[in-house]
Amino acid sequence: MAGPKKSVIVSYSSTQSFLSSSSWTQILQTLNSQLPLRNIHWKSASRPSIRTIHELDVSLVNLDTIRDELASQIPTTLLERPLLNIYVITCENNDLEAYRATVKKQIKEWHATVSTRKNQEWLILHVVRADTRVQSGAFFTLKGSVLDKVRADFNTDKRERCVQLVWSTGTNNPAAWAEFLNKLRDGMLSAFESAVIQREEDVRRSEGQRQMPGWNFCTFFILKESLATSFEGITLYDDALVVYEELEISFYQVLKEKNLSWFGTLISPSPKDDSAPLLSIDKKPYRELILANNITVFDFRIYVLSRQCELLAKASRLTEVCRKVGVFLSAFGRRLREIESEIPPLFVESWIYSSALSAVDQCDSWGSKVDLDAKRPAFNAGKAELVELARNQLDVLGIEKQYLPCKPPFSSSLLVPRPENAQPKSTESISNPQLSAALREPDTFYDLYIMTTNRAIDLYAKSGRRKFALKLHGSLAALDLHRGRLDNALTTYNSLPAHYAPHSWTSLESVMLTRALETHETAKKPKDRDWIHVLLAFFKTYAESGGTELLMPEESKSAYVSQCMSALEVAVTNLESGSYPDHPALRLQVSPAATLDESRDGSYLTVTVHNSLPCAIPVSEISVHLTGRESERFKFTTTSESLDSGKTTVKLFSPTPCHGTFLLESSEIRMQRLLLQWSHRRTSHIKGSRHTAKGNNTLVRIPHDLLAFDVSLRQPPLVALGATPSLLVVISTGRNKIASTSFSLSAPSVVFDYQGITISSSIAASSSPPDSTPDRITLQDLPEDEDIELLIPHSDVSSFHSIKVTIEVDYTTASELSISRSLRLTRVINTTLPVSVNVEDFFRGNRLFSKFIVSTLSHQHVRILNARLEPPDSERSGLKILACSSSKRGIVTVTPAQPAQFLFQINSDGPVREALSLDITYRMLREEVEFVIEEAVERAIVETPDWKLQRIPVVRKLIQLLEADASWVEIYGISGELHIPGSPASDDVLREPAEVVKKMLQTHKHPTTPTGPWHDIRIPVDVPVMNIVAAAEIKLSMQKDTALYAGQPIPATLTVHSTFHWGTSANDKERQYMMQYDVEEMVKEWLVSGKKRGTFVATDDGTFIVPLTLVALHHGEFTLPKVVITALPLADVVTMGSLAIPNTETYQVHGAEKVLISPRGGRSTFVLGMGST
Amino acid sequence: MAPNLRLNAVAFISPQNHPILIRTFTKQDEGAIKYHYIAHTSLDVIEERASSKSSECYLGLLYSTEDVAVYGYMTPLKVKIVLAAALTDAVARDVDLNMIFKALHMAYYSAISNPFLVPPDTSGAVHDSARPVLAGSPKWKQFRRRVDEIARIVGNPATTTAP
Repeated sequence: MAGPKKSVIVSYSSTQSFLSSSSWTQILQTLNSQLPLRNIHWKSASRPSIRTIHELDVSLVNLDTIRDELASQIPTTLLERPLLNIYVITCENNDLEAYRATVKKQIKEWHATVSTRKNQEWLILHVVRADTRVQSGAFFTLKGSVLDKVRADFNTDKRERCVQLVWSTGTNNPAAWAEFLNKLRDGMLSAFESAVIQREEDVRRSEGQRQMPGWNFCTFFILKESLATSFEGITLYDDALVVYEELEISFYQVLKEKNLSWFGTLISPSPKDDSAPLLSIDKKPYRELILANNITVFDFRIYVLSRQCELLAKASRLTEVCRKVGVFLSAFGRRLREIESEIPPLFVESWIYSSALSAVDQCDSWGSKVDLDAKRPAFNAGKAELVELARNQLDVLGIEKQYLPCKPPFSSSLLVPRPENAQPKSTESISNPQLSAALREPDTFYDLYIMTTNRAIDLYAKSGRRKFALKLHGSLAALDLHRGRLDNALTTYNSLPAHYAPHSWTSLESVMLTRALETHETAKKPKDRDWIHVLLAFFKTYAESGGTELLMPEESKSAYVSQCMSALEVAVTNLESGSYPDHPALRLQVSPAATLDESRDGSYLTVTVHNSLPCAIPVSEISVHLTGRESERFKFTTTSESLDSGKTTVKLFSPTPCHGTFLLESSEIRMQRLLLQWSHRRTSHIKGSRHTAKGNNTLVRIPHDLLAFDVSLRQPPLVALGATPSLLVVISTGRNKIASTSFSLSAPSVVFDYQGITISSSIAASSSPPDSTPDRITLQDLPEDEDIELLIPHSDVSSFHSIKVTIEVDYTTASELSISRSLRLTRVINTTLPVSVNVEDFFRGNRLFSKFIVSTLSHQHVRILNARLEPPDSERSGLKILACSSSKRGIVTVTPAQPAQFLFQINSDGPVREALSLDITYRMLREEVEFVIEEAVERAIVETPDWKLQRIPVVRKLIQLLEADASWVEIYGISGELHIPGSPASDDVLREPAEVVKKMLQTHKHPTTPTGPWHDIRIPVDVPVMNIVAAAEIKLSMQKDTALYAGQPIPATLTVHSTFHWGTSANDKERQYMMQYDVEEMVKEWLVSGKKRGTFVATDDGTFIVPLTLVALHHGEFTLPKVVITALPLADVVTMGSLAIPNTETYQVHGAEKVLISPRGGRSTFVLGMGST
Repeated sequence: MAPNLRLNAVAFISPQNHPILIRTFTKQDEGAIKYHYIAHTSLDVIEERASSKSSECYLGLLYSTEDVAVYGYMTPLKVKIVLAAALTDAVARDVDLNMIFKALHMAYYSAISNPFLVPPDTSGAVHDSARPVLAGSPKWKQFRRRVDEIARIVGNPATTTAP
């Protein structure tokens, strides 16, 4: 059939003379320039919504040139004939005469022919010259215009069919045309609508007769299709598509009724059918075939499809074209396969291949005309799908020709599984030259295959469909593998899993990985690091999915995995070492508590390993790292042969004797040179979510091994203030015979002097002396169960209360020389003393009394054995120090409430320049009690040697009991009996020894000579310088037993004896000091007369005497008044800008004396001589 | 139920595009990978659809190959259900497909609402996003059984009339 004309036809007519005039040519030209019509709104009664025609071409044709072709019975488009007829008249508007005479007749003639035509409208156009119109004016309007006359004559119904065009040459005013164009539009639409309604009525009628005999689908199709072509003509593509869709549905209905008598066979393939361009509607005379009732279903459906696609393309819906073609090819391909025996071999594959590719080309040529920016990706995707469809045909053809193996991914394109021993089909009938060339030569085929696939990949990539592209990449790799291009295949297979892994598409990832492994195997490449990575990734997919997601037969899975594993086992022995983090195939679970090895230092940790693979994994070592609070790290290891599938419990050993709670840091499993690592430490990233942080970190508790090697720090036995401080390092060998050990100490801002080390232990002599370098101390051959004490001097730390010392120590035991254990310990040692000492000095002439008050600084009781004041050098200084208390005083307890006092008398020949030292031997009550308990336990063990092993636990238990209740302290302090409150639980193994020891302690007495460890502090004590020591004495100068009465004057002398013995000018007889004395007023008791206050010159060992008279004011027993003596500033010495006053101490010799004053009895009469007169 | 509608495979995919469950109902063991590919590639198309269409769960035909038509469905919580049905000449009606999808959605919904889905010891570690994936783990057989049941009923509409 001829393609539908693109435009709507409008005829025009007029007088011959006018039509041939130049003005008409001009008018026609101007009119054509106004066309095509734009934005036509078609409001149809039979359609729910307004259809908008954006642009409509109108071709103006002379009425005479249109021949009536009514002879043809085949319904064609409604636009074949003109929709509108126009008659043009040109007479002057007011020239009624001319109108009546000629024009009216002409119109009448035309009108008669036109108005009878069906579904055609008519319009009379009155062209008026613009200039003449102005002339006419409004004077003759009474007569009416020609236009009015024409209206009156012809336009009988409501519809306005006459229009006036004001025409002036040269001006092209769109406004002048507006009315005419409106009329043109209206006329055309109404004609079209009536035509459509009528045609639709025809179609409905024909459809209604479907069941009647003689109804022909083909005729119906042609009838209805004419509607579609009409809609297409006025660019209403959607309506046209609807018609085709309805037709398709009718076709399906016919198909269902199996009433296909109007068609020929399903297909009668002509030689070129399989390679003809699918979407071309003129490759066969389809309409003629339909009319002849002998079109095949194959051709019919292709025709409908191409028409639909053409319409879609016109509507710029190219994406749908692709979709439609794809669906059609698949669906109809299936139909064709049903009759495979009747069509040439491989016809379907060839047809789909050629059709899909030709459709893509067609779409591209349509697409080049259309602007589809936003739809571009979708369009590309549609094309890609078609290309992939074509590619899938190549899969089938390739398998058929045995260019490709019949296994995935190629076999996925097979619709029915290929029988094992199928004969290859002939490819003779394939008419696509490209395809048939490819099928003759494998290499050409592969090139075509790769080219087509790459085309699809490219289109998918452009459309953003990454995953489709990935799939195709996979098939390219499979082709490379098949062709033996192993390097290419390996590269692709190695890169593909990374695309599937992030979204845990385990199934596809594992397929890629197995392929990569296979390729590696086939390529006979060395099993290097990359191979192991691929293999581990494969195991990972297996473990993550529990093996269920692997796309391989169930029974071969575990065999395959174990085969891989044994290959791995071989590979790891000759590999440069590598580590692989967090592999999920193995999962370690660490028990929260370690157990001690009772026979040697170290502990065991139980670790459960879950092996998720179906086979045993050969491993060489399993280790677990723990970290402590001070970032010390311990490693638990064990060697192992293999880990079976499922759970395996292993015991890991760490030789390091450490106790406490540790964090599980990481774990490692070593397979020869391959290291699998897991980090168990979790750091919570989100602050808000406390739940995630909790419970993630595993804590491991290691119990304290009391018999293990240990290093502790203590205060040295003697602390001398002012001397270089030092601390005592105690190395407890425990159960071990130590072959050698070395350690170093470190603490912030403290320097340890390893060179000045002294061994203060008794065994020092027997073992080799410590070998100390500036940063490490090494000891050799230490016996077991021994405490070796090393005194290490260090720099001054008096600014700290305590120092935190990190001890790094390595040791090897004699029994296990191969194992070097290293410990990193952190110990805190107090640098402060538990007691404080205050001193008070009293000068008495040549003697000095010093009183020391010892008080505790803590809340603890301090037991003081004794306190001694030592002269710096007893022989030389000539000092004689006497302790006032007897040495048998026993132990003094200093409590926070009750300090202890110690008094010493110092006799010296002269002033003491050098400092004395006060030595205090003390211990804390706790230490003493611990010692007492240990002693008692020791005794109990002598009686029952079986308890030997429980020595330390029993001591600890008892001390624990003491800690619980402090009620025992008081009784212990007084009597020495230690009543331990409470008792261990009855099921405790320690109960029996503890009870025995408890009983023993209840009868404990403080020993007469104290035993146990004591601490010493040495405190330097300076004797103060005193320039003048004065002794003031008021002596009543009267007989001893004389009674004294109140009011009686008592003569007395004040004697001040001064000595410079403790001063800077001792024994200097020339030295003199000006002194001042002042007898204190005691106004209630004494009336003092005489020189109560005055100055005197003091000399060494000199005496100053002054008489006084005292009168007691009332009776009673009084002390004598005090005398205050002060030195006057030295006239000759000036220190620091002020006058120096020599320091003076005065004591009252009479300070303890009291005088008894009796009351005065009776009356006394005094006769006073009045003198002579 | 539409006649002749045979399900070849059903895939559930989590909002993060992790596969939850892929069930294939074809005999071929080797063919399973094809449906894994289909499930995976459908994500691209679903992504295209989801950005344009908003409210509707049912996404319609995603694409078709020679033998299967792939339909998509996305739950309001973005769990994607992909269904591969054997391609026939007859047009599968969207209503029917929507119904099948709703049934599959319900099967998934009842699986995910299992309170014991997340093992208690890992409650802190497992994110909510991991929950959908767990529902498809082989541990929960009921979900698989229900999906299989749906596929069976769809393929055999006669049994639906039985009480």
